Amino acid sequence: MTALGTATAPAVPPGGLVRTVARTHRTALVLTLLVLATATAALAWLHSLGDEARAGNRACATPPTDGLPSCAAVEAITVDETYASGLAVIATVLSWVMFPVAAWAGGALVGRELESGTAQLAWTQSVGPLRWLAAKLAAPAALLTAGTGGLVLVNVWARGDSNPNLAGDWYYPDVFVSTGPVAVAYALAGLALGALAGLVWRRALPAAGVALAASLLLHSLLERHREDLWPSVTRTEAGSFELPRSALQVAWADSPVNGVPVTRATFHPESHFWPLQYVETGLLLAVAATATAAAFVLLARRLP
Amino acid sequence: MTALDTVTAPAVTRHTSPSRGLVLAMLRLHRTALLFWLGLVVVAAGALLWAMGPGADAAWAEYTDLGCDQAAPNLGCDSPGPANSRYQTAVTVAIGLVRLLPLLTGAWAGGALIGRELENGTAQLAWTQSVGPARWLAAKLAVPALLLVTGTLTLTLLHRMLWSADRGAAINVMGWRAWHDTGVFEVNGTIAAAEALAALALGVLAGMLLRRTLPALGVAVLTVMSLVYVLDALRPYLWPVKTVVTSLDDGTPGIDSMIVETGAMTASGARVPIPSCSGEPGCDARTGITHYYADYHPASHFWPLQLMETGLLLAVAALAAATAFVLLRRRTGAAV
Repeated sequence: MTALGTATAPAVPPGGLVRTVARTHRTALVLTLLVLATATAALAWLHSLGDEARAGNRACATPPTDGLPSCAAVEAITVDETYASGLAVIATVLSWVMFPVAAWAGGALVGRELESGTAQLAWTQSVGPLRWLAAKLAAPAALLTAGTGGLVLVNVWARGDSNPNLAGDWYYPDVFVSTGPVAVAYALAGLALGALAGLVWRRALPAAGVALAASLLLHSLLERHREDLWPSVTRTEAGSFELPRSALQVAWADSPVNGVPVTRATFHPESHFWPLQYVETGLLLAVAATATAAAFVLLARRLP
Repeated sequence: MTALDTVTAPAVTRHTSPSRGLVLAMLRLHRTALLFWLGLVVVAAGALLWAMGPGADAAWAEYTDLGCDQAAPNLGCDSPGPANSRYQTAVTVAIGLVRLLPLLTGAWAGGALIGRELENGTAQLAWTQSVGPARWLAAKLAVPALLLVTGTLTLTLLHRMLWSADRGAAINVMGWRAWHDTGVFEVNGTIAAAEALAALALGVLAGMLLRRTLPALGVAVLTVMSLVYVLDALRPYLWPVKTVVTSLDDGTPGIDSMIVETGAMTASGARVPIPSCSGEPGCDARTGITHYYADYHPASHFWPLQLMETGLLLAVAALAAATAFVLLRRRTGAAV
């Protein structure tokens, strides 16, 4: 009991526990830092291609007229394809951060330690179970918030003027997730779901599998119902019209009313980007908070 | 010990050969994975069967009701209606599950099948029982391989049925899928099953090399991902291409096939990139180009391409499995 008593004493510096977490998971830490460095370098490189890529994607004419360049000359610039596919890869990577995080948190962070008994041993040392879990969650959460948040900022910077022909429209699933705070919330939700799965299953592989499945479910549910997270705008007009490209079309109907053709379009204008981001971030943070609270309650109830 | 004796007692083994016991033990040990695999096959097969029958009918009815099969389709035809969306979702889910299969197989083989047993010593214990290490590894490879091939080939046959049905009346509903699309190409032939086998062998090898659950899982997933990526990039070069040459008046050839490369030709037949002034008056004479060309694979190259890639995958699988056996022999000495 002496050891346990010391654990809750305020004299113990919290740095040791964080250092232990970092040391145990040094492979994951090194991999994360490598990915961060690679992605940042790639984005800086893409940013440097930006101006030339936009030149390779401008309006053109054949033969060249009205000051427009010849289409063949514009087509000869191939940097725009590199730029566009590079940005698409980064967007996908950023919007999938949740999956490896959840699998790692369920498997390596919590599940393996409970399966092999390392956790139970650690609790008899200078650290109590609740502080053990708090450190396991806080250290990766801080790193994920800083890393994902920083990468989102660099991504927005590299996208320049966000020309939808090059960088994708704002409502593309990957683009939407990788250009706002929702990316950080996804990573944190993955971490919390993984930790909860690890505590529930107490075995590395089942916990990793369940955490990954839960994350896939959450990710695809939100992607599917994203357009319902904020009231959409409806425009009804006689005749036919086209929505601007920046509009996310939700529903479209053209049916004659009293013999007059009427078109009714439901959509999200680009100004809904931030409300949609905030609602989704809020939902994900609520999921993360609930999962974290459930993990702590579960751990507290298991203890004698 | 009494209970253990009863299990290995000759009275029992007389009726069941050791191999049969080994297989039963494996199926019991990995029952979660077995159920998961059965569930995956059932879901994917169900999605394909539904899409083939009621799904395609509903999508086609909606398409004709909207008048999209007419000469002048309206703007509403740009975005699919609910029935079409459901059809597309079902097909996408089925193809997606098959494409996910190599990753799941590699992860499971590296982590649960081999890595975990070597990490916690279950394998070493098993080798002291009625089963030697080589038979142990052979069973670990053969049983999942059989199940994987059976399930994947079932899905392949179902997708081929869907595919040939779609080429008929509902061609517009399926319009934007081509035979050479990633996903469609793999599911329509033997590649899907061969990918699963290669992933199994690579996962087993990762488990044997690292002897720890989670690192083996991670390495297996990364290896399988790279293999799938490399083969995807390599695909067009596995069989000699056909070339079509068009005159400058016809413009660049537009072909509905797997295009490998396009460009321009000079009078001497040399291949050059399409010049940047193309389309401007006097450009062709100035740059000396006389024709455009395109290297492509017609639909008749489907099976040669399939079989070449399948062969490559099976070679990778065989190599990985053989390495795993050699590794096991080195570790366990002459006992194998």
